[in-house]
Amino acid sequence: MVSEYLKPKTLDEALSALADAASVALAGGTWLLVGEEHGIRPDLGRVVDVGELVSALVERKDGIARIGAGATFQAIADSPSLPDSVRRAALSMANRNTRNRATLGGNLGADKSCASLVPVLLALDASVEYAVRSADGKAVTKTAPLAAWLDAKEGLVLAVAFATPPGLKSASGRASRTACDVATATVGVAYRLEGGAVMALKIAMGGFGPHARRMPKLEALFEGKALPSKAEVEKAVEPLLGAISDQRGSADYKRRRGAVILADALAGATEVTA
Amino acid sequence: MKVNFELNGRSVSWNVEPGTTLLDALRAKGIVSVRNGCDGEGSCGLCAVLLEGRQVNSCQILAPQVEGKKVYTVDFYSKDRKLSVVQQALIDAACVQCGYCTPAVTLALHELLERSPDPDGDEVRDALSGTLCRCTGYEQFFNAARIASKRLKEPAYAEAAAPEFAPELRHVGKNREKVDAAALARGERAYVEDRVPSDACHLLLLQSPHAHAWVKKVDVSKAEKMPGVVAIVTKDNCPDLVYTTAGQGFPEPSPHDQRMFPRKVRHVGDRVAAVLAESPEEARAALAAIEVEYEVLPPVLSIAEAKKNDAPVVHHGKVSYVVGDPPEGTSTEGDGRDDPILYQFPLHADPHRNLAASVADGIGDLDKGFAEADLVIERTYKGNRVQCTPMEPHVVLTRMDGGRLVIHASTQVPWHVRRIVSRVIGIPEHKVRVIKERVGGGFGAKQDIVVEDLAGWLSWTTGRTVFFRYDRAQEFAASRTRHLMEITVKLGAKKDGTLTAILMKLDADTGPYGQHCLTVPMNAISKSLPLLLCDNARFEVKSYYTNLAPAGAYQGYGAPKGSFALQTALAELAAELKIDQLDLIEKNRVRSGSRIEILRSLGEGRPGAAVTLGECGLGEMIARGRKAFAWDAPKPAADGDWKIGRGAVIIQQGSGLPGLDAANAEIRLLQGGSLLMLSGGADLGTGLDTVTAKAAAEIMGLDMEDVSVVSGDTDTTPFDKGAYASSGTFFSGNAAVKAAEDLRRKCLEAASVMLGESVADLALVHRGVIKGKKGQVTLAEIAHQGVQGEGHSELTGFGSFKTEHAAFPYGAHFVEAAVNVRTGEVKLRRYHAYQDCGTPINPALAMGQIYGGVMKAVGHSLYEELLFDEKGKPLNLGFLDYKIPSIYEVPEDFHVELVPVADEVGPFGGKSVSEISLNGTAPAVAIAIHDAVGAWCREWPFTPERVLRAMGKL
Repeated sequence: MVSEYLKPKTLDEALSALADAASVALAGGTWLLVGEEHGIRPDLGRVVDVGELVSALVERKDGIARIGAGATFQAIADSPSLPDSVRRAALSMANRNTRNRATLGGNLGADKSCASLVPVLLALDASVEYAVRSADGKAVTKTAPLAAWLDAKEGLVLAVAFATPPGLKSASGRASRTACDVATATVGVAYRLEGGAVMALKIAMGGFGPHARRMPKLEALFEGKALPSKAEVEKAVEPLLGAISDQRGSADYKRRRGAVILADALAGATEVTA
Repeated sequence: MKVNFELNGRSVSWNVEPGTTLLDALRAKGIVSVRNGCDGEGSCGLCAVLLEGRQVNSCQILAPQVEGKKVYTVDFYSKDRKLSVVQQALIDAACVQCGYCTPAVTLALHELLERSPDPDGDEVRDALSGTLCRCTGYEQFFNAARIASKRLKEPAYAEAAAPEFAPELRHVGKNREKVDAAALARGERAYVEDRVPSDACHLLLLQSPHAHAWVKKVDVSKAEKMPGVVAIVTKDNCPDLVYTTAGQGFPEPSPHDQRMFPRKVRHVGDRVAAVLAESPEEARAALAAIEVEYEVLPPVLSIAEAKKNDAPVVHHGKVSYVVGDPPEGTSTEGDGRDDPILYQFPLHADPHRNLAASVADGIGDLDKGFAEADLVIERTYKGNRVQCTPMEPHVVLTRMDGGRLVIHASTQVPWHVRRIVSRVIGIPEHKVRVIKERVGGGFGAKQDIVVEDLAGWLSWTTGRTVFFRYDRAQEFAASRTRHLMEITVKLGAKKDGTLTAILMKLDADTGPYGQHCLTVPMNAISKSLPLLLCDNARFEVKSYYTNLAPAGAYQGYGAPKGSFALQTALAELAAELKIDQLDLIEKNRVRSGSRIEILRSLGEGRPGAAVTLGECGLGEMIARGRKAFAWDAPKPAADGDWKIGRGAVIIQQGSGLPGLDAANAEIRLLQGGSLLMLSGGADLGTGLDTVTAKAAAEIMGLDMEDVSVVSGDTDTTPFDKGAYASSGTFFSGNAAVKAAEDLRRKCLEAASVMLGESVADLALVHRGVIKGKKGQVTLAEIAHQGVQGEGHSELTGFGSFKTEHAAFPYGAHFVEAAVNVRTGEVKLRRYHAYQDCGTPINPALAMGQIYGGVMKAVGHSLYEELLFDEKGKPLNLGFLDYKIPSIYEVPEDFHVELVPVADEVGPFGGKSVSEISLNGTAPAVAIAIHDAVGAWCREWPFTPERVLRAMGKL
């Protein structure tokens, strides 16, 4: 159960409160508070409500899209300034009640394997702006590649930004048993087609490890080559995906499903400038 | 800490703990319209509020987070007990069944219409994507959204919610408002959880972590001294008797094999100890302080394991019989340690070999039938365990009043609750009163006494008020599931498709206890086999104990699984014979005037009798489906990876248990000429109270608003068998009809005296006027004389209904499915349900029952399955992992059509409507999958993985 609730007014205060290892940042609460109603989760201790402290702004200027960490999934899905792949990833969380609360910052912080937004943002080579506490206790803003930040999380996420240059194609995909299910597999892809060849291919997937991450081995399969057919992708990718059997399906099925959504994403990618 | 915010347009300032959720804070302040269906998962959406104009789940928001914000609940729209446009639209579109989700749906549609005044179907789907509903099947929500949208611009807008029937009648066959709909739509206090006083004690369970283990020692010495603890119950101090939790008529066809706290736990989640404390926190702390020593035993985790000669024995106590002798060769001597088993009469059981019950019978000469066949096929089908998942889990409030035990129950069987609880406690029935509150979904799970025995015992022994509610995980692990069944069907047929022999061999897994162990599997036979005419037919049913979750009743009882096996096998036969599957059905189905000989063997525990069927609507239903699906034309072409297939099945059910059950009703003429209907029937959201109100209004020449219904209260209403076996409309409805007819007769006799005219010259006409040749008198005047010093007494009517007549509702379901050849995923493009419920008493509500039934069957056909690990531990104990359909899973073209064939005994010709709706989906979808991709799926649910494996692609 939550024993203390803090709602800092400044980043300095928030970072100070979060410096205590017993503290945890709270935004929408759709992951953090699962089961809180009846004490199903272990003690959260002190929660620091940063939901309104960080920006919720969603914008695209000069070819750079920027999403505030406080932006809800619904706001992202509703934003015409964002690429279709990102909006679809947000919308793939099919439960509107949850989309109305869940935030980008929470999705990155929780960093679950089924995270809806992480794969496409990794594929788009997004960077993270985050705040850390300096020696004098003041908030300092830093920037890091999202992939790096996820592997060594620090500070409080403020925003995510990514370039949307002409010619870049992107897609996201998700597989689940029912529309409102936890994802069995997720995917984000981005690439350019140059002279008919796939270039700068980035693939990130969820459901095949503890976190959604880039898949360099899969990228290497297709980089620099003609856009493969769906069948070629499935045949090449399925054996390479590591999966575990659980209530959402056997490892064999998950590999199949993952290969299919990747094949569909590569084939269905659209211009991020569109 | 203090939180200040705006609630429903008013500023409030509340003291809350930092970890208090907004849901808990609201309920603590009496806002009961926010419901708890998933215990904080955020997956059901029933706790929804509008926060700053957006629909969100209040279980996942800490109360301090709404500081300075605007929060709206449905109570805002119910101000002054009025109804908003959306609430009225939901009522008019027949969307309020159990009503547990209605406040959340109301808020979602208000939010939607605010941002999109003319929403399309996708927007409605999206708006309701976070709200789970188990009753309605979601389809009529689209109508409600349309009605509300139009009325916001044109307040007088109206549309028919459904076709209407029986033109000669005023109310029956017409779409009328469900009698409890407005109160439920307003979110008023209605359910057990809304009755809990602030000083109630809270009961929590310590449940077994093992599937099979002796409970060697339960040490409560620390726990019982902890603050707030009122009582602790274990195997050492609970009543020492066995009983069945099955809410069936006595003597039950279920073994009495369950002790309140067993000496040996038989499934993960079985009862080990209970703590009654003055707060949930204190109960939880005391539970954690109880020390238990187990002797873990190997579990039985499948029917195959249960059958083995050296299988662990789930029940090894002494076996005895009230009537009759043990079957020859069976073991009755106990191991001297386990709890005993008492059979009321023989069920061909051998518990020490894990056989809880069995039965076999048939007609004709099976060997001869198979010998005459040109083709014989044999196939085995498996239906896995699924949960009923009412959105309101099992819950009870018990209290002492005047030396009597009062049980506020969410139950389908108030009288069986009274009988069983009084026996458990050891007191006569007059010491117990059961009040059935509004039920937030039952679906069979609440036909069992799952929580009432323990809470009742603790109130009786401590004198305290006890609140006991299963959380969602407990509901999954220790409620009642649909039996896992393995059914082998062997069919013999001539080349032209004429059936020559049918053999159905059914093995069922009843789990750790034997409630419904015989009747559910038998129902799989008795509601499938009589659909086909065949001179040689036999069935063999066996029900086995295992250490998996308890099985029991679930809407449809055993019929969905029997129908799945037999109808799919018939389609497989058609494929082998290269005959259109619908043509094969036509060749062999029952029809008007058919003599159904197999019913001689299907007497529900009594000798059966063959029946000559009256009019049967199957032909018309098949014809309508055939036309709507252009059955004789080529099916739609594939759409990319999605291949299209079609399937059709015929289905049936019963209408109560003829010769076994009874229902009663009383009706009183009140001052002013209005009526009070006292019905024994248990309305669990199905609209039964509306059926009885309609009967009263129709027969007494009044309007619906002239009647109030009190039902399911064992003190104030007469006995009724309860809501099961599709008996509500047929039995309880008929009792209400007879009561109203009795009152009408008495009123006519009184009027005869008052007017000085013979009864034969009098007629009761609308609205409550008895007219003679010379004069007239109103019901109000007759009622007035009943309470004066002269003239007749207060007039009441009484109706009792029993029958030997079997009323079969029939149906034909048609499916068009798309199957993805790369992923195995199945989408339902079209689903048409043609059903005969006799005269539809409430057409729109009847259709809602069918939509809801079909969607539950869509769930068990495609998504739902209770999973266990290798030690018998359940793996998916919440809606995040156990997937019931949301509005997104509703078929694109979802159509229900009533094809009535009036029954000569049913009330106004009515028959049952609900349960039958679950019988068609699994076989129809399986057949459609085969039609699409050429693979037979013989195990439900047809998950994408199973479909791919059936296709040989995984």
